[in-house]
Amino acid sequence: MFYIPSGLIQDMIAHARELAPHECCGILAGTNQTVAENYRITNILATMSEQELSRFEGAKLSDLQRLSPEERADIAFQMDAREMAMAQRAIRAKDHELLGFYHSHTFSPARPSQTDITIAMEFESYRTKLNLPAPLHLIVSLEHPDTPDIRAYRIMDSQATEVSIQPISAS
Amino acid sequence: MIKVRIPTPLRPMTGGKNEVEIAGNSVAEILENLGSAHPGIKERICDDEGEVRRFINIYVNEEDIRFLTGKETPLKEGDEVSIIPAIAGGR
Ligand SMILES: [Zn+2]
Repeated sequence: MFYIPSGLIQDMIAHARELAPHECCGILAGTNQTVAENYRITNILATMSEQELSRFEGAKLSDLQRLSPEERADIAFQMDAREMAMAQRAIRAKDHELLGFYHSHTFSPARPSQTDITIAMEFESYRTKLNLPAPLHLIVSLEHPDTPDIRAYRIMDSQATEVSIQPISAS
Repeated sequence: MIKVRIPTPLRPMTGGKNEVEIAGNSVAEILENLGSAHPGIKERICDDEGEVRRFINIYVNEEDIRFLTGKETPLKEGDEVSIIPAIAGGR
């Protein structure tokens, strides 16, 4: 069980709606099982060069190569590394921990895709060496625009397991 | 020699190795020597101007080099350099 202030849930949904049809992305931080803050991070995918797309693999890479740069951000996200580093520094300064990552699925359900799982496993391969806790992967789905769905997962050994989230009133 | 951790997408360029030992007294020297040892890998990490690409973080031990002295960050025996793509994903 993870506890998330309802204001932060609303902010993540607002973030997803502001950027739609592009996917949004961000970082969640707090202590123990309770999220205290979120950091909106820029999805730089639409401005990445053809060569930089090779950061993605397999089917996702060929899908991205077929689309225009603007359309690419509708089906994927890449966090800006500098903003991510700045957020991690701010999180440490507050004695918070990085608890997870969030992103939106503009046209599909709130379930991790193969790309989400592959990249989560990439993160797992160096996470412990950097002393970071196991992250939650939260997805905001706008598939049904009037009823956004928000779900959280742990991704271990290439398997995603849903974790329940409990909205709380105060932050 | 400095231990350099290679992220999954770049491992095909290091013969599948997740860590390589590279000589160098600064992050810049490590990137240069890594590129000589494994042709093509430096271009994946740095852009045409030699700047680290916007989706990659480089850590020395547990600290991002942006909060040290960037590519000029000095290295000593026992330090570890990690090349880490920022989180990505999709639908
Ligand atoms: Zn996704």
